[in-house]
Amino acid sequence: MVNIRLVCKIIGSLLFIEAMFMAACLIMAFGYHEDDVMAFLMSTLFTFSGGCLFLYFGRSAENSLSRRDAYVVVTATWVIFSAFGTLPYLIHGTISNLADAFFESMSGFTTTGCSILSDVERLPHGMLFWRSLTQWIGGLGIVFFTIAILPSLVGGTVKVFAAEATGPLRSKFHPKLSTNAKWIWSIYILLTVCCGIAFWGAGMDWFDATNHSMTTTATGGFSTHNDMCAFFQSPAIDYTSILFQFLSGINFTLLYLSLFKMKFGSVIGNSEFRFYFFTVVIATAVIMLMLINQLDYDTEHALRSALFQVVSFMTTTGIYSDNVAQWPHITWVILGMLMIIGACAGSTTGGIKSIRAVMLFKVLNNEFRHILHPNAVLPVRVSGQSVPQGKLVSLFAFLALFIIMLIVTAAIMIIAGIDHTNSAVIALSCMSNVGPSLANDIGSNMSWAELSEPVKWLLSLLMLMGRLEIITVIVLFTRAFWKEN
Amino acid sequence: MKIVIAGAGAVGTHLSKLLSKEKQDCVLIDDNEERLAGLGDYDIMTLCESPTSIRALKDAGVQGADLFVGVTPEESTNITCCSLAHALGAKQTVARIDNYEYLAPQNKAYFQQMGIDSMVYPEMLAAIDLINGLKMSWVRQRWDVHEGALVLLGIKLRETAEILNQPLKDLCGPDDPYHVVAIKRGDETIIPGGLDVLQLNDLAYFMTTKDYIPYIRKIVGKEHYADVENVIIMGGGKTAVRAALTTPDYMNVKIIEQDAARCEKLNQLLIDNSTMVIHGDGRDLGLLVEEGIKKTQAFVALTGNAETNILACLSAKKLGVRKTVAMVENLDYVGMAESLDIGTIINKKTVAASHIFQMMLRADVRNLRSLMLVDADVAEFVAAEGSRVTKRPVKNLGLPFGVAIGGLVRGEHGILVNGNTQIEAGDSVMVFCHEHKLGSVEKYFKKNTLF
Repeated sequence: MVNIRLVCKIIGSLLFIEAMFMAACLIMAFGYHEDDVMAFLMSTLFTFSGGCLFLYFGRSAENSLSRRDAYVVVTATWVIFSAFGTLPYLIHGTISNLADAFFESMSGFTTTGCSILSDVERLPHGMLFWRSLTQWIGGLGIVFFTIAILPSLVGGTVKVFAAEATGPLRSKFHPKLSTNAKWIWSIYILLTVCCGIAFWGAGMDWFDATNHSMTTTATGGFSTHNDMCAFFQSPAIDYTSILFQFLSGINFTLLYLSLFKMKFGSVIGNSEFRFYFFTVVIATAVIMLMLINQLDYDTEHALRSALFQVVSFMTTTGIYSDNVAQWPHITWVILGMLMIIGACAGSTTGGIKSIRAVMLFKVLNNEFRHILHPNAVLPVRVSGQSVPQGKLVSLFAFLALFIIMLIVTAAIMIIAGIDHTNSAVIALSCMSNVGPSLANDIGSNMSWAELSEPVKWLLSLLMLMGRLEIITVIVLFTRAFWKEN
Repeated sequence: MKIVIAGAGAVGTHLSKLLSKEKQDCVLIDDNEERLAGLGDYDIMTLCESPTSIRALKDAGVQGADLFVGVTPEESTNITCCSLAHALGAKQTVARIDNYEYLAPQNKAYFQQMGIDSMVYPEMLAAIDLINGLKMSWVRQRWDVHEGALVLLGIKLRETAEILNQPLKDLCGPDDPYHVVAIKRGDETIIPGGLDVLQLNDLAYFMTTKDYIPYIRKIVGKEHYADVENVIIMGGGKTAVRAALTTPDYMNVKIIEQDAARCEKLNQLLIDNSTMVIHGDGRDLGLLVEEGIKKTQAFVALTGNAETNILACLSAKKLGVRKTVAMVENLDYVGMAESLDIGTIINKKTVAASHIFQMMLRADVRNLRSLMLVDADVAEFVAAEGSRVTKRPVKNLGLPFGVAIGGLVRGEHGILVNGNTQIEAGDSVMVFCHEHKLGSVEKYFKKNTLF
């Protein structure tokens, strides 16, 4: 059975880390002398005592983490982190309703980036920083973050990592998981710092630069302004944002190899990266042409808007630099496809990940060849490595689940009285952790606030499933999981 | 420290599990995906490639490796990959071999030239272990340190023992000729302090010097145990051959082997030896009685099948053999075999893995062995000049909990250590510690680099 005590112990220690982040916001709030100082002080204390309480429950835990425990730990960590993450909103009164606060918090941690706040500009600085920080922590994964700084905290680190990591194939560049985690976090921090400096250089003030750099590298999409990147009206900021979203969409292992090991060949030869790169190029070209022909954009503007939107949706950041609602409808379809695909596995993005798309295309291609050559043995190769048959079965299981979830959610949205386009788009947006949706009624021009409460809870759950790649969460709801043996 | 292991067989997987617990960087190479599949839960990196591929070795980071271990089933593969690894820059290489000749001292330079620093022959190590056990049938495990300057004895305490139920501080004061350094009680391993007592059916580990072995035998009440003269070995594998070849002259060995062709082969292998080879099934009680099991003092089961070995030992016990030894390759069975009261358990994996394990510890560890039946390690450290242990007497060192110093060898002489002993630089010190705490002990013996 599940070792509840150990799960409590791990979550308890993780809550201390969350309390630490809240304390960082407290300092921010204190620096600005705004009315959220008390909210963050109390949230920090509550979270800290919550951590103590969990540790108390788990004080005499038997230190053996089974596979089941690992799944419980990961899912529970995300839920509990989000639950405690609502405290600043609720105590400060930014958001008065629990469902709203949880939705906002979950949307932050899962880097979805859809906000129920229609006017973020009136929020105090500390609160804005907290929103950005939730995305930044969630970007690479809460538990993964812990593995990097406290490798001894989680006994069966490898199992927990397997439960949280995204993508169908796992690769390591160093024998020890904690060293891997440290390098990947170093790259993440490096990206964030570079991004911040670049934004600052492009004309943002330092507070905006900090927040935007955190949400950009996390490919989350929370902003300190209601109009997101469109607020700045600066091509330099747009291009900086595009560059860092694109970089954050690359597999961090690849970034490590190219930055620290100078193995550029392995990056160029990587099937997933190539797919990601060419998809961006082609989608941008198509959309750009459409903008030029149908909406009379000038070339630079068309390129910038198209590229921004393509990168933003493919990396599941989900921010706008232009009024997409006015664009030809076919562009929405293209962007919708990009939302499903997502960028590379092992990055901060959502969606089904490019590598699965690569595998899918290869399987389909093989299937057609198989009809012509029934006895041919056709391997599915990704970056020169054959993918074992078992992984392909998991791939299709995942895709099937993804589609089922999309259809079910869209159906529920329609029952809840939302129009068809928006239903589909909301489902897609939450599953892929993109954030704002496409149509006029929701997202770009309006906020998510008007959804009903049960729908918000459902979407929170959906965002979590999207972030943890569905199976980690759903397995908890299977009967076999809770059986004695 | 970075270790690359080629071959995910029994020794390789066991070793990499040990290393992942030790928080070492461990890369395991094997060309069989299935063998690597079970290792997903351990914090190691696996590479599914041929161990003799230069590209694979480079991918595994052999250039920067501190130790390269070749433990594939094929001896020639091991030698090749060790050679390659050495050429690519591995600091030290170990190959598992299958040929006794290679171990001869005169060939060492030749192998060194090929880039192989040391070799392990698990069957040989197991055989030495086995014979040590047979030499003193009343001992479960014996380990000689520095050609016997110090001796570690693992003894099961029966009703006849004189030292039961007394606190250790009354039993072995500073001047007594032995120390109890570890106790296995049920499933629990205790590194005892002065207030612990020895109880019936404990497996107690005594550290002593050679001269006092008869004294130990007296206090544990095992004087009536007959010395082993006649041995029956069941199963004529490689370990059996090595064991038959290393037995002292006074022992008469019979090997029972099921396969007729193998019997012929055994006769050739044991040509200069008085060993008798018998064709038959070692589980056949009639055959055993016929071959004089009643007059045999030791029964050794060395077939490849752990279950067969355990059962055969049990039936030999029924027939009155006091000392039984079983080879149990499945580690999960070791505990069970122990609880069935089979005397000594031999496990090639742990023997070979701990042999390799010792090579990777940075301090000057000469000798290390997992006690297998207990969750404790014994290691021999050489105190470096200016290291922490040489600064003050043992009782003031503040050694961590679960660590005990058993004895030391200074020059040629074994000395038992008590609280007042002052360790000097150059002493070889025997350290006992709980489950893989060696890392924390290590720093006491190394020169303090900061000051």
